[in-house]
Amino acid sequence: MAKGADILIIDDDRDLVESIRIVLESRKYGVRTAYNGKEGYQRIQEKSPDLIILDVMMATDTEGFSLAYKLRNNPDYKEIPIIMVTGFTKKMAEAGPEKFQHIMGENWPVTQLLEKPIDPEELLSVIGGVLEETSKG
Amino acid sequence: MALPEKGKDPFPEAGYELVKQQLFFRKELIERVHWFIRVRWFAVGGAVVGAWVLNLLEPTFPLLPFLLIALGIFLYNLIFLAACRRLDASKGQEVRPFTNFAHIQISLDLLALYAMIFFTGGLYSPLLMFVIFHIMIAGLLLTPLACYTYSFSSLLATAALVGLVQAKILPEQSILLQSSLFPHSLLAGQSMKEVLFLFGFFAAAVLITAFLITTIRRSLWTKGQDLLKISKDLDASNAKLTALYELVKRMGLCSDLQDLLDTATRSVASIMGVKGASIKLLDETRRKLIFSSTYGLSENYLAKGTIDIEKSPINRRIIEGSFVAMGRIDEEDYFQYPEDIRKEGIASMVCLPLRVEKMPLGVFCVYSEISYDFSDSDVKFFSLLSDLTALAIETLRGEINKTWFLQKAAHQLRSPFSAIYSLMKVLRKGYLGPVSEQQQDAMLRCEKRLEMLGTMVNDLLKLGIKRQHQDRAVIRAVNGAKVLRALEELYGSSASEKGVAVDFAVDDSVPELLADEKLLDELFGNLISNAIKYTPPGGKVRVSLAVENEHRVRFEVMDTGIGIPEEDVPRLFTEFFRAENAKAQAEEGTGLGLVIVKEVLDFLGGSISVKSKVGEGTTFTCLLPSV
Repeated sequence: MAKGADILIIDDDRDLVESIRIVLESRKYGVRTAYNGKEGYQRIQEKSPDLIILDVMMATDTEGFSLAYKLRNNPDYKEIPIIMVTGFTKKMAEAGPEKFQHIMGENWPVTQLLEKPIDPEELLSVIGGVLEETSKG
Repeated sequence: MALPEKGKDPFPEAGYELVKQQLFFRKELIERVHWFIRVRWFAVGGAVVGAWVLNLLEPTFPLLPFLLIALGIFLYNLIFLAACRRLDASKGQEVRPFTNFAHIQISLDLLALYAMIFFTGGLYSPLLMFVIFHIMIAGLLLTPLACYTYSFSSLLATAALVGLVQAKILPEQSILLQSSLFPHSLLAGQSMKEVLFLFGFFAAAVLITAFLITTIRRSLWTKGQDLLKISKDLDASNAKLTALYELVKRMGLCSDLQDLLDTATRSVASIMGVKGASIKLLDETRRKLIFSSTYGLSENYLAKGTIDIEKSPINRRIIEGSFVAMGRIDEEDYFQYPEDIRKEGIASMVCLPLRVEKMPLGVFCVYSEISYDFSDSDVKFFSLLSDLTALAIETLRGEINKTWFLQKAAHQLRSPFSAIYSLMKVLRKGYLGPVSEQQQDAMLRCEKRLEMLGTMVNDLLKLGIKRQHQDRAVIRAVNGAKVLRALEELYGSSASEKGVAVDFAVDDSVPELLADEKLLDELFGNLISNAIKYTPPGGKVRVSLAVENEHRVRFEVMDTGIGIPEEDVPRLFTEFFRAENAKAQAEEGTGLGLVIVKEVLDFLGGSISVKSKVGEGTTFTCLLPSV
């Protein structure tokens, strides 16, 4: 199922969404996009994607995390793998605002964390790995 | 003091001052009254022993009357003792009872003395000299008038004694100790001239004593008052200074605006000893004042929250710069909410603008339950306190704004950077079609420059976070050698890749450092990576940690790198500064590394010095506090 898998990109930075879309489409993935958490949730409700690429900071600093938790707590969607992309390195998040520290704690709602700026090859290899895991599982 | 005209008692301090001075002298009087009673016991003893000795020497000495007089003194001294205890117990603040008591004592003593004088030869009695020190005591403790009254009474008593004996109303007494100058008995055959002569001497002695004592005492009293005033002023100044110091210290420790404001209101209310204090800050529109912190006022009073400056002439006046002291809160026109003020039990208040360089930030008020509670010097002092508070507010705000700006700017920069970088990679890696070698090369250059930009943004972000979180750092004993070892692993490999030899000379006996582990890691890491960065292949970096002295540990990073031009050294620790030769080198650098180093050192209470020669190398030496 790896090839042609349905991937949903949720990020408020349209340029970034575009660059990811180009990379993914070059590998024949089906790509859908959303520019905020609410829109993203609508897309998921329309059709459950095989994988979500989710930005952390959108309208609010933790919008991405809120959506991730919402999906994890919903039995219909909790199996969808999420690759989270963030401008925050993990190290910074540790030193950073309390809310991140809290979020980075237990019950990590995310399958993988990728740091911006995204390297296309790294992204593709991570996606490949995650999809393989899911298809096995 | 700019009190409203209706003032009834514009100098509430004056009365209080008087009482305080009276208390000072009253204390002296009371002590002396007790002392007299103690001394009098000796006088009784002295009289009995003296009479007995004289009786042995001169059998005609009237022993019995003397003993009776001594008994009389003994008895009234007992009564004095009881009276004195009762006076003490009454704990009254009045001076008068003690003055009266002193009068009674001196009068009775003089009476007893004159009885003895009578029995020992009247004008010829050597005991007449003892009158003098009673005059002295009266002069010292009581008013000059009282002193002169006792002087003249004594002279009168002496004259009366002589007269009464002369007139044979009182029996004649034998003269005990005959002066060789006047070798005569009192009455028989002595001339009036001699009596007048003797009396004249005695009168002169008494009056001169009275004059000297009262004059000296007056000057002493003035000096005492001056001294009292000076000591009081000193006390007050000292209390104010201590209070100011405490306030500055406490405000200096605040890292949060609300915390600072609350500290200010609470401290100022307690320093000035008033019911409450409040700080209202101007909002963004500068038309409204918002109760930002209060102390000692009820929730009700605060419920209204904001004050419209247009509707509150008093607040407008304050903001415009004229301070307002309300001796009595009954000028309703001044207030937007006069009812509330009355309900709150506020009787007088002083409000001052919080200003920095004439720029108003808000209003600082203190409230008292007592009418006219604020003197001129109180207002001056409060003005000093509010200036300090304004300065602290502005400083903290500046600090907050700076940190906030750094973080905001870094975040804002990060998003476009990420997008550009991602798109660039997509392009270069041919996801949008084949790319020629030349295009490939140009894009690679772009990518490199972008990466530098990315590092810079990251450093900015780190700096912002560091500023914000230094307050949270925990200073404790940290093993510096251990922190360095971890860094040795981290930097060792990257340095050897570059061809730079890094040598760690860590003295394990170095005492633990007083620091925060994360900050220390940051400090060491920045200096080490800097040294490696600016040392060309084949060069050497030497890192050492050793004891400097009892309280300090020396951390040193020495390299054989490009060095820092002398003229650039003073600016090394300023944001975004990179030395000219450092920029010329291809190495990427943001100019923030040393700023972080300096911030950490400032926070930990350490210091740094630099020695450098272009082309030869650089040595950074840090002194850090140790356990």
